Amino acid sequence: MSVEAFVRERQGRWKRLETLLDVAESSPDWELGTDRLQELVRLYRQAASDLNEARSYTANADLLGRLNHLVGRGYRFVYRRRHGERWRAGLRRLFAEEIPRAFRAERTSVLLAASALVLGAVLGLTAVVADRANGERLIPADFFTESPRERVERIESSDERIESVGVAAAFGASLYTHNIQVSFLAFALGALTLVGGIAILFYNGVILGAVAGMYWLDGVQGFFFAWVGPHGALEIPAIVFGAAAGLRLGQALWLPGVKTERAALREALPAVARMLAATVAVLVLAGLIEGSFSQFTGRTFPHAIKTAVAALLFALLMAWLFARRGEEAP
Amino acid sequence: MSGARTILTPEHVEVRLAPAGLGRRFVALLVDAGSAVALAAAATLPFRYLLPPGVTQALFLTASFVTGWGWHVFFEAYRQGRTPGKQLLGLRVVDGRGLPLSLEQALVRNVVRALDFAPVFYGLGALACQYDARRRRLGDIVADTLVIREGQAASRLGEAGRASEWNSLRTPRVLRLVRRRVNVEEAELLLALSLRAPELADRARYDLMEEVARHYRAKLELGDLPISGPALVRGLAALVFWDRRSPARRGARPPA
Repeated sequence: MSVEAFVRERQGRWKRLETLLDVAESSPDWELGTDRLQELVRLYRQAASDLNEARSYTANADLLGRLNHLVGRGYRFVYRRRHGERWRAGLRRLFAEEIPRAFRAERTSVLLAASALVLGAVLGLTAVVADRANGERLIPADFFTESPRERVERIESSDERIESVGVAAAFGASLYTHNIQVSFLAFALGALTLVGGIAILFYNGVILGAVAGMYWLDGVQGFFFAWVGPHGALEIPAIVFGAAAGLRLGQALWLPGVKTERAALREALPAVARMLAATVAVLVLAGLIEGSFSQFTGRTFPHAIKTAVAALLFALLMAWLFARRGEEAP
Repeated sequence: MSGARTILTPEHVEVRLAPAGLGRRFVALLVDAGSAVALAAAATLPFRYLLPPGVTQALFLTASFVTGWGWHVFFEAYRQGRTPGKQLLGLRVVDGRGLPLSLEQALVRNVVRALDFAPVFYGLGALACQYDARRRRLGDIVADTLVIREGQAASRLGEAGRASEWNSLRTPRVLRLVRRRVNVEEAELLLALSLRAPELADRARYDLMEEVARHYRAKLELGDLPISGPALVRGLAALVFWDRRSPARRGARPPA
């Protein structure tokens, strides 16, 4: 058969397939209807065989390009995964079931990430307690403008910084957008380099430990827990979760074991995406708390109350993610 | 096409995915980034007159954050891998196996944008694209995705066809001979040779072209024409596929 006859004979159904795909890609399945859906699948199979046939006797780039494009589109539609769940039900299931399940399944990566941070914190704390001068070496100069005792006295005796909902909201939003981007970066570093993710956690742990050490040496650790606690109880775990998700993906990329890299990545992706979703949600909440509740002095909320809230928030977070639910087998 | 990825469908048909170049992706990105900021601003505008300034600022920050990061995730996962910018430039993000992206892949490839963006405007991402055979940025590598250019094959014929503007073979006599004596198989051979010639080594290309040219010189009685083999083959291909209303030209338009 000549190319001309080949094209003349079949282009009608290619056009029809194109039209059907246009509809299918821009509207839900029910709009296409069963008949047209079946027709689409049949036309796709024919187009696929036309492509094979055309390749056997022509190098015409226009024709092959067009058919290749068409079959590629059809393939994407016919073999896609179904998704059509309602938003609200999906969201509920995500937070009530899927996220906790992902965290329990991936607790090794969470534990690894948390250990890096805790190890850094212990080292930072020990270094500062052993020699106060280490504090000035470890903590970036920007954070180190006055001694903890001076800072506590200044803040506790001045007016409340948060005097309206507006100020709290704006401050909170700037905090969580920033923190989420930092967690994305930690995630990406973990996924692409593994070591980078662990290093960034360790480094942040060192700074955190060193700052805590300075407050401790000045005898104002109560203030430290009351000011960092309420949001820190969520924010610090969230950064750990983001990095842990990255480490899990990095493990699939670099250490896939007997699987192919692609299979390992695909296996890791659902849990990783859920861990990321949890990270973002927790950071939004932490940012809002940091922009408001954390900023109040002891005159408005006694330190004991703020510390208790911190402990409660941390306990709730851990219970949500790691407590075993009744319906699950161990 | 360098770096093209071939996937085998369950029907045992090969489909080729052509990776998109950096230029197009960059322009698509600018379009998307601009649209996302505009959308965030438009969404917050009505609240400026209703809510205290601090809350409006918080809303704008949140809205631009959500549109900035969510724009790509939403369109890639729910609009067949095409953000408006990508659609405009004929690009599409697909799964590494040629299927549509899952929501998870869209999320992960866009979260890694944080690293691709470093140190300044997609420095790392561009570098990764440049060194990856399939032009994947870091996010694409981690999520096993691919940005493809749709309907690229068509433009290559355009390049071959452009040679006809200064084609010394375009004389009434040669045109008449081509019309009468070159059959479909021969025309296809000319085209295949012109398209694939750049992939051959210089020496091999010259020898092959000379040999094919000998065939056509005899067939079309062009022995007297002072023209090299490669030039003859290219000129004839351009005549057959551009000047003549050939089957290829009439039947197969580039995909719309």
